[in-house]
Amino acid sequence: MATVSLRQVRKAFGGVEVVHGVDLEIADGEFVVLVGPSGCGKSTILRMVAGLEDITSGEIAIDGAVVNERDPKDRDIAMVFQDYALYPHMSVAENMAFSLRYRGVGKPEIRRRVEEAASILDIAHLLARRPRELSGGQRQRVAMGRAIVRDPKVFLFDEPLSNLDAKLRVQMRTEIKRLRDRLRATTIYVTHDQVEAMTLADRIVVMQGGHIQQVGTPEEIYDTPATSFVAGFMGAPAMNLLPGAIAGGAAVLPDGTAIPLPPDAHGYEGEALVIGLRPERLGYLAPDAPTDRPVIDAPAVVVEPLGSETLVTLDLAGHALHVKVPPRSVRRPGERVRLAIAPDSVHLFDRDTGRRL
Amino acid sequence: MRRGFPWARHAVLVLVSAVMLLPFYWVLKTAITDENIYAYPPRLTPLDPHLFNFVDVWYLIPFPRYLLNSVIVSALAVAGNVVLNALAGYALTRHFPAKRLVLLLLLSCMLIPFQATIIPAYLISARLGVLNTHLGLALPLLSTIVCIFIYKASFEAVPKSLIDAARIDGLSEWRIIATVLLPLSKPAIATNVILAFIWSWNSFMWPLIITRDAEMQTLPLGLARFLSYLEDTTGALYAFVVMVLLPGILVFLMAQKEFIRGLTSGATKG
Repeated sequence: MATVSLRQVRKAFGGVEVVHGVDLEIADGEFVVLVGPSGCGKSTILRMVAGLEDITSGEIAIDGAVVNERDPKDRDIAMVFQDYALYPHMSVAENMAFSLRYRGVGKPEIRRRVEEAASILDIAHLLARRPRELSGGQRQRVAMGRAIVRDPKVFLFDEPLSNLDAKLRVQMRTEIKRLRDRLRATTIYVTHDQVEAMTLADRIVVMQGGHIQQVGTPEEIYDTPATSFVAGFMGAPAMNLLPGAIAGGAAVLPDGTAIPLPPDAHGYEGEALVIGLRPERLGYLAPDAPTDRPVIDAPAVVVEPLGSETLVTLDLAGHALHVKVPPRSVRRPGERVRLAIAPDSVHLFDRDTGRRL
Repeated sequence: MRRGFPWARHAVLVLVSAVMLLPFYWVLKTAITDENIYAYPPRLTPLDPHLFNFVDVWYLIPFPRYLLNSVIVSALAVAGNVVLNALAGYALTRHFPAKRLVLLLLLSCMLIPFQATIIPAYLISARLGVLNTHLGLALPLLSTIVCIFIYKASFEAVPKSLIDAARIDGLSEWRIIATVLLPLSKPAIATNVILAFIWSWNSFMWPLIITRDAEMQTLPLGLARFLSYLEDTTGALYAFVVMVLLPGILVFLMAQKEFIRGLTSGATKG
């Protein structure tokens, strides 16, 4: 196990810089998830940690030792790839044993480690098969098994679940979580799926355009997003981001609904800003139910029943507002929907910089 | 695939195959019958077939020696192509300065006919002291540009993540080629084997120039010499041709499935 440090790490392809001076400290045994949209630089960072990409400037250290000039094989890392990267001409056992063979590990020890990893991942019955004879989920397990047998200092996962269908993805996510709790290894996991990030991470690193937007625990990221980008990216469905203003000590939504703010927000009086409202924090009100909270009253535009709940898109003075309401409470577009807003569920962001206020 | 009239399609294919195979059949038939090839009307089936022509060829000229020389030279050429072209092909899949220029140079070199390079090739061989040797015979055939590109296309079809994984697993570049890329490029290897074999086996001009004594000559030279020995020996001549052709056909048949895949890989996606 080891720590990983990135200090002012930059990466440019040709003249185009794609990672702009990233600083990140990963503790021993920590499971860190890099999350962000395509092209945000998360995979590039992972590949730089692996040694598969050179660093344009900055420093990467594993367990305190700077590894900038070390080959991938000398960094003591193991990587699980998006497309599994299993050698098609070798059996599952050979795939798992491959790197150990080149590291001079004795045959009995290789066998012991392969069998142990196979039993952890429940693939012991597949050891003689070739990768093409396996399902997607089984291949993914073998790819993880290949990493586990190495017993490396750091595990790297590059979008390992994105080639699986939705059902299998959920299943494998649980498996990885189980594995994570068992191994307690330092891990960097890259994904564009914020659900994976929320469920697996000790800490999440949200990235955009080669910059780190926020580093924090899943709860911190969810409860106090540092920027409007993080707010809009994390959460399913994403946070509603509406243009608004602060007037008379209240945040005023586009339809004129005023939400009283705590005194510390009054300093922004008169400023135009972005108001963030989580869909699941807007409480559905029956048509004539009384409430002492501020109420949004708007017509439904799209109704998407999911069984356990219903997603409704409202037209809030020309802006789309997504909300989750109890099942069968709203049935068709055109119905008016009343929502109570808890003042502590309001997030305010600067309209220009996107920073949290 | 279009439907309907499968028998018509088959008939056309059988006809085309017959046109292609007829000359081979005619050579074989003449070799075992001594028939006059100008006889009219031509006879389709062999009359009194025998194998004396093959025996004549084996004993009348040093056929075993020519055969050995050809086998050695072709083996060298095949080994050279399989190994050297793989190294060059791998290099061309990587990024390096002036890669486009190198590709352009290689492609433009394909436009130069071998005959135009014979004099420099001879001078270089003389400098290296390999004139009139097996190595000298094989030297210009040890690598061929078109086969380098066949490897390149094949290596490029291997997912990049496999090479990354191999690198993390601790393999050197040499090992990556030997243990990851080559086992996944069997069609390209087969294509290299067949083409290198056929080109070296059939090579005439270069052996003619570089060999000084009969002991070093290869089968195509032997065939030419055989022609000058005898007159009116169509049967024996054709027997010689059959004996020269047979190894090439055998090599092709053994590797044909992989060969065809090798030639067409990269041509279509998926």
